[in-house]
Amino acid sequence: MPGLLQGEVLLPEGLANLLGLGGPLGEAIATLLAAFIVGNIMLAMTGVAGPWAKRKITAAFTDRYAVDRIGPFGLLTIVTDSVRLLSKELIIPTNADRPSYDIAPVILPASALLGFAVIPMGELGPLNIHLADPEAGLALVFAFASIASVSLVMGGYASNNKYSLMGGLRAVAQNIAYEIPLIVTAMSVVIFAGSLQMSTIVAEQSATLISLGGFSIPAWYAFVNPFAFVLFLAANMAEIGRNPFDIPEAPTEIVGGYQTEYSSVYFVLFYLGEFLHVFLGGAIMATVFLGGPAGPVLPGFVWFVIKIWAFFLFTQWARSALPRVRIDQLIEIGWKGMLVLSFANLVLTAIIVGVIA
Amino acid sequence: MSIELPDTTDVAEQSPEELAELLDELVIGRDDHLNAPGFVIKPDTVVDALSRLRDQAGFDHLSCVTAQEYEDRYESIYHLTKFADRTQEVSVVVPADKENPVSQSANEVFRTADWHEREAYDLVGIEYEGHPDLRRILLPDTWQGHPLGLEYDQDQPQVVSLREHANPLLEDQKAPGGSETMFINIGPHHPATHGVLHVKAVLDGEQVVDLEPDIGYLHRCEEQMCQSSTYRYQIMPYPDRWDYISAGLLNEWAYARAAEDMADIDVPEYAQVIRTMGAELCRMAAHFLALGTFALDIYGDFTAIFMYSIRDREKVQNILEELTGQRLMFNYFRLGGVVWDLPEPREEFFEMTRDFLDELPTAVQEYHDMITSNEILQMRTIDTGVLPKEVAKSYGATGPVARGSGIDYDLRRDDPYGYYENLDWDVVVEDGCDNYSRLLVRMREVEQSARIVEQCIDLLEDWPEDERNIQANVPRTIKPDDDTEIYRAVEGAKGELGIYMRADGTEKPARFKIRSPCFSNLQTLPEMSNGEYVPDAIASLGSLDIVLGEVDR
Repeated sequence: MPGLLQGEVLLPEGLANLLGLGGPLGEAIATLLAAFIVGNIMLAMTGVAGPWAKRKITAAFTDRYAVDRIGPFGLLTIVTDSVRLLSKELIIPTNADRPSYDIAPVILPASALLGFAVIPMGELGPLNIHLADPEAGLALVFAFASIASVSLVMGGYASNNKYSLMGGLRAVAQNIAYEIPLIVTAMSVVIFAGSLQMSTIVAEQSATLISLGGFSIPAWYAFVNPFAFVLFLAANMAEIGRNPFDIPEAPTEIVGGYQTEYSSVYFVLFYLGEFLHVFLGGAIMATVFLGGPAGPVLPGFVWFVIKIWAFFLFTQWARSALPRVRIDQLIEIGWKGMLVLSFANLVLTAIIVGVIA
Repeated sequence: MSIELPDTTDVAEQSPEELAELLDELVIGRDDHLNAPGFVIKPDTVVDALSRLRDQAGFDHLSCVTAQEYEDRYESIYHLTKFADRTQEVSVVVPADKENPVSQSANEVFRTADWHEREAYDLVGIEYEGHPDLRRILLPDTWQGHPLGLEYDQDQPQVVSLREHANPLLEDQKAPGGSETMFINIGPHHPATHGVLHVKAVLDGEQVVDLEPDIGYLHRCEEQMCQSSTYRYQIMPYPDRWDYISAGLLNEWAYARAAEDMADIDVPEYAQVIRTMGAELCRMAAHFLALGTFALDIYGDFTAIFMYSIRDREKVQNILEELTGQRLMFNYFRLGGVVWDLPEPREEFFEMTRDFLDELPTAVQEYHDMITSNEILQMRTIDTGVLPKEVAKSYGATGPVARGSGIDYDLRRDDPYGYYENLDWDVVVEDGCDNYSRLLVRMREVEQSARIVEQCIDLLEDWPEDERNIQANVPRTIKPDDDTEIYRAVEGAKGELGIYMRADGTEKPARFKIRSPCFSNLQTLPEMSNGEYVPDAIASLGSLDIVLGEVDR
């Protein structure tokens, strides 16, 4: 397979080798096991992020205390919160449009989890945490990430609540306005890498850009094309709906938008899905612009986790410090500003790469 | 060293005789109040009289409309004054027939009359002819009788029927022919209504076509309670409960000022300085909270700014707690002074206050760095929620809302009371008329309040020990003469907080009317929001800084 790192073995195969599973059945079991592991790593991370890390980070930003009563550093809050959230009553509005009302909260986390299938997360011991490496990997991951807006519209529409409906409509408007600049910016990276395959994009970034007094700066695309990186970062914030672009939720305006009518487990699923999408956004950033799992000393997987948490931290920082823009301003920034800039970036990159190469 | 008083030389001052001449044939009698000459006119000449006073004598501020019932008649009083010179006042007294209380509406002269007359209709029962929308405003539509009327049976409990709670949208409410707009209820339970405010909104997509604030959810009969309490001690705790967002002392001062003027009580200078200091501390605390909640509306989360403003407010609260012994319901003022002197040891109190004042510039700079110089915030607030100067005047907007619309009007300077006129400070005015101006006004007023507090601390520190007189000699019971009427206002945290009282010779007021600044300011909301986007309407509501406890009373 072209583009694969030398000797790279994907996780299902690695697991099969490790456990001595053979034949079609063994492969199937290994694949399921691998997907189970990756899915659970991500869910565990959201579990830490949602009830605990988010509160701790926000508290640190805003000069106050957060969860510190239960367990060391309040870590057991994760357990108590899970019990609390799952034991709440599930209230379904009388005129809700079922089953779309019930399906919407499942689609959101599912779409994010699907996205992680093609993300190369680096080595951990003998295993390479990477589920699948199709040639159209990058296109696929954007496709999965965009399914999120389907869920938001479904939830918003099916709730039979005007606030929810407005949230759903805002989600679509926002998504259309930002998906295009996002993907067009990512395309400029594809021009550099010459492939949509994730492993190739990562491999291309392992080269050295410049050496400075013994330190070599790798050719991460964030360094090669910082302009595209900033554009992508901004578009990504809008894509995952975080401040200053948390317009589909906007609690002070439309009371939480599409999730207004959701409670109990459904609410948890929505929340989970949102965090998964934040992490998926971080994973895409890391893979496309920050050299994927590359990093010194520590195993690749640890670096990968550090990078997506850094993105998570960034979203929380923005949440604590930036006001929300208005929906019309957001659309304006998207269509009049970012779209133009991203195309300019694409054309320029194409010309430069074409001239040099 | 003292504040520069406004130049009122170009504001013509009319003697009562001149005003009588102006109103000419409309006047059917005189009913002077302690604060102003009062002209009695016929109930069908209200528009004529008010127009003359506004256009020819410059009385452009309808501060308040008081309604009351006598044994033989109903009466509406229009308390007029001037934005350019608050010391000029005139009352227009409009008696209405006992059997058929109908009076002409002043709505076409002053738009603020809309809500004030609705309240008068609701609580007292006078009907205003020509009023565009005479419905109950504080009480539910199903309420029987008018609670401040003489005939009203207060022992008869009334249950708000289920009809009131019925969901009006239960039936499919699609307009015939397919309407382009959507009706939506913002509140009474909504994260951005700052209490229990209900806004009926008609939206066209994301844009507001029409807004109608629906108030009264927090109506607690404050006027009625004050009417059944004695002047001397029992009324004072109530003002704390009107604007309960730290503005307690400012509210108490409104009552104290009205009652002291009515009973002719002089407050010792030392007590005035303490009052001034306490009131300005309250103003700072109130503005900090306004700042935090406004940021909350724009930012959408409990962000750093909200927490920082709460942190600074907390410091003020600690000082106020030292001073009054309370954090929320201070009950610190007494008629003729304050209840006790500064806490011992005084040095510690001064040090604590000074520490806070010393840190304040850093904190304010932090706010400017994080809020006012933030480009996204500027994008959101500049030129949104525009309230033009003339509109603001017509609606009787006061306080930071008026000063954000370029109206140079502050009772502390224009109608001096307390110790303000001897201190050095400025009235903050911004000309932007938008959400951003109102935010700036509050932030800059905090700095001015700090100046005032600092000067008060200096004065108090050097006050000779044997001259620390905190209360004048006030009789145990106060019984103002029968039929004494007064309307007095102070600059509350949200604007002009006025009290009207009528004495009937007993130790309790026969009529106690509160002119709430939030009540008048909230009326401007549709004016600011129509045609704007929903998020801007929410921001405008936040910039008005309403406290529902004061709106509904």
